[in-house]
Amino acid sequence: MKTRDFLRRAAGAAAVVLCGLALPAMADTLEDIKKAGKIRVAIDTAIPPFGMTDEKMQPAGSDVDLAKLLAKDMGVQLEIVTTTGPSRIPMLQTNKADIVVSTLSITPDRAKVIDFSIPYADHPSVVAGLKGVSIKSLADLEGKKVAVVRGTTQDADLTQQAKGAQIVRYEDDATMALAVASGQVDILATARSLLPAISKKNPARTVEPKITMQTNWLAIGVRKDDPKLLAWINDWVKTNLKNGKLAAIYKQHHGVDIPTDELLKKGGA
Amino acid sequence: MSYKFDFEFLAERWPDFAAGAWLTIQLTVASIALGFVVGTVCALARVYGGPVLRRVTGAYVEAIRNTPLLIQIFIVYFGLSSLGLKLSADVSAVLALTINMGAYTTEIMRAGVQSIQRTQLEAADCLGLSRLQTILHVVLLPAMERVYPSLASQGVLLMLASSIASQISVEELTATANLVQSDTYRSFEVYVVVAVVYLALSALYRLGFWAIGQGLFERRRRLGTPL
Repeated sequence: MKTRDFLRRAAGAAAVVLCGLALPAMADTLEDIKKAGKIRVAIDTAIPPFGMTDEKMQPAGSDVDLAKLLAKDMGVQLEIVTTTGPSRIPMLQTNKADIVVSTLSITPDRAKVIDFSIPYADHPSVVAGLKGVSIKSLADLEGKKVAVVRGTTQDADLTQQAKGAQIVRYEDDATMALAVASGQVDILATARSLLPAISKKNPARTVEPKITMQTNWLAIGVRKDDPKLLAWINDWVKTNLKNGKLAAIYKQHHGVDIPTDELLKKGGA
Repeated sequence: MSYKFDFEFLAERWPDFAAGAWLTIQLTVASIALGFVVGTVCALARVYGGPVLRRVTGAYVEAIRNTPLLIQIFIVYFGLSSLGLKLSADVSAVLALTINMGAYTTEIMRAGVQSIQRTQLEAADCLGLSRLQTILHVVLLPAMERVYPSLASQGVLLMLASSIASQISVEELTATANLVQSDTYRSFEVYVVVAVVYLALSALYRLGFWAIGQGLFERRRRLGTPL
């Protein structure tokens, strides 16, 4: 009887604590960041050219440069919290990072658990191929071998939309890149941002984008109900899209321009 | 433990699993048969061949038995195509698995062949058997009977190891599992299903090896004693 009583009380206490956690006061991370003098940014440093480590083992890439610029403009130190694709959002939810800048595409599912800034870059999925391969539409893939990474959005899109294509599935980007570089496949469906790295593996088999399948928009992730921080970041993105600084960072790492006007329009400016 | 198992995907996806299992069977039966031929020839070369032949087969066995199968498959699939020899993923898998099975079979069969007493060969000579007849009836068949349990185990091991072919886009059983789990997010359930299928395949292969053994070794069938 005593044990049961104790358990009941413990459960009651736990419930009170949990409720307290579930209903925090409207957070002001911006204030916290300024007080601490540093901003913690979660970045995946294993997806070049967005995030990677350079020859001196220092974080580098377009997302890293963006975070550096943001910290400088905010007047605080930058602390990079390295993360992986699946743990980007949990980092934010568990307060291990203040913001996420990590090839984070805006999706309705994610928007349920975190808030997104206005987009700072586009992130298209493409069907790419060797120079000599002629592809104008998905119908041209009929009977051709197309490499994808299993379980990605490109895999799903291609399986649905290019029924005649012979889809060859690899386990990760590296294996798919090797299949292209070694001559096993001439066509692949992947993020446009990966193409330079794949072409670099074997310059004799340089791949170029042929069709854009879908465009995702990359944004900075912040915790829900953090209006001051979100407003500051949105202003910052707008300013730096207009003055061309973000475009310059992107151009430096990716070799292509971001559609600044379209991004500003999406951001409501 | 609040995890709720959900096997609903099976109703819709079982044909995928069946197709994957069928490809696994095709790949591995071909590799086991070819690998057995390669291994038997190499074993004879290792025991009865000249010094060069012995060295070459020895190097082959050591190279294959001391490197991971995954690396061997990558070399066949990516390496050969970089050199201009473009084999499809399925053919690459059979080739790599055959090379692998061949090396292990060489060692197993070598043990069997060496266990044949010199006096047996002398007896065969006295009876006027030709060299080919001696090798087939006096050396190989009894040698194989002695090491048959090891051969059968190696065959089952190869069937299980063939899951590595999923890494070079062969749509066999493990690749099917990876595909279904990435579609349904029921990864735990999918791998449980696939483990059960592999278990069933292992049982099937053991049964197959037993049946082949019964057909092949007339002496054992009659007497039921180990040689």
